[in-house]
Amino acid sequence: MIMALFTRSYKPGVLFNTNLLWRSNSTLETLQKGEDEEEFRVLDILKKKDKHQRRVARPMKVPADRAEKMPTDQNWGNVWPGPRSFHPSSVPLPIRQGYVPKGQVPPGKKANAELMKIPNFLHLTPPVIKMQCEAIKKFCTEWPKMLNSEQAIEQHYPVEVITSDYCHASPTIRNPLARIVTLRVKLSSLELDKHAKDKFLRLVGDRYDKETDLVTFTADRCPMRKQNLDYVNYLLTATFHESWAVEDWEKQKSEEDMEYYNWDNNKSKRNLIDWYLKVKNEDRLLTDDEYKSFDVSEIPHAIEYKETVSDLFNVGENKETLSRYDTVVRKLLGLPEKKC
Amino acid sequence: MNLTQNVASIAKWSTILSSQFHTSAALCRVVSGKYRITKKRDKPLTYEMANPPHYIAHRKTWNSWNTSNLKDGLRRSETALEDEFIRRFINGTWHGLVCSEVIIKRQFNHIRVAAIMRRAVSPIKMYFLLGYSEELLANWLQCPVTLEIQTVDSYKDVVFKYI
Repeated sequence: MIMALFTRSYKPGVLFNTNLLWRSNSTLETLQKGEDEEEFRVLDILKKKDKHQRRVARPMKVPADRAEKMPTDQNWGNVWPGPRSFHPSSVPLPIRQGYVPKGQVPPGKKANAELMKIPNFLHLTPPVIKMQCEAIKKFCTEWPKMLNSEQAIEQHYPVEVITSDYCHASPTIRNPLARIVTLRVKLSSLELDKHAKDKFLRLVGDRYDKETDLVTFTADRCPMRKQNLDYVNYLLTATFHESWAVEDWEKQKSEEDMEYYNWDNNKSKRNLIDWYLKVKNEDRLLTDDEYKSFDVSEIPHAIEYKETVSDLFNVGENKETLSRYDTVVRKLLGLPEKKC
Repeated sequence: MNLTQNVASIAKWSTILSSQFHTSAALCRVVSGKYRITKKRDKPLTYEMANPPHYIAHRKTWNSWNTSNLKDGLRRSETALEDEFIRRFINGTWHGLVCSEVIIKRQFNHIRVAAIMRRAVSPIKMYFLLGYSEELLANWLQCPVTLEIQTVDSYKDVVFKYI
């Protein structure tokens, strides 16, 4: 028994007090006395000591808040140099946050988790922003003087490339959406003749917006932005040069293939000329080319008629075009005007 | 002939045979994130606990701040899982010291972990735990981790009300 106790509480290098060996059989008073004298843990066989004795945390010496010692003319940018969660000891502001019932005071800045949660802009005070702008000013270049208006920019730089950069919180900075490249160019800024323009519009299809006169190429098929940028540039170059090329089979384009209604090539003009010649009692047969090159300005109201018929086919049948067609035909044939 | 007799006999009892289908309104009782009032009214609640979840964005804010929560955010599941892992790690490493929720904010690849701790251990141990958790989390998550700790004397400092 004694031996067991001895081996348990023996620590080498410490002078052993022999009368302490008998402490296990002694009373509580002697126990507490011995506790005060030495730091050894003692086997308490009779379980006289409370089993769960709570360790009382010694009060820690906490220095006063940093905020209380701050001079009023300090440089705040040095105190709070970067983004950081709110810390009450470093911010000399009497802030409160929290919802409380009416009449109560919201929780103060100390031990307030809500203040730590919300993002703060204590690192971006106006003087700091000013200082940082001054610091990066030397990397800026002057804006070209010739590019002083939107029109000038449009004239010198007709091609517009649109890409998006994404900023997000994640271990990787890559975002697959950043690969998408859009190229926009005004159709009027491209040098195209009538045939080339027609072919260009057929090639680009619905990528051309009639209202804004913009042709838009978008590429997202390649994994990297550079590749997509190269691809849209290639698309613009290829369609431009392809539209200038004239193939042999393009000469076979007939009236059915026309993308718009050309009155001069159509039967409406022939009918008008035939009718006009008949009215004048000139009985002569015209060839196709003669029909096409016939100057209709000698026929009264024929120019109006031409425009109206073209509108009827190109714009489409609606209330306006139809009523205009009605009045023009009455004028042309010399009929009385419509009674309203 | 038999069939018609059967049908007639059933039709006679139809009012009794057609059993009533008993319905009642669904009990939509939400209990998660809410605390029950004790008899003695001595249960301490922090501000976070005092406001139930439906007050998020009204009276209290989120504990995780990142872009994965937003529409079309990337790495949703990974971020959620990592956040849960960080919370458990901090609560276990700073055992019995964490007095508030663990707030995790992400900016670019930087993770900032904020919490309120009790001053129950010596500052030397606190400094050790700080470096230890930052180093280990940075190694596991493969991005810089910063711990932003505020200390209080005891739990009583974070108590908002007793219910």
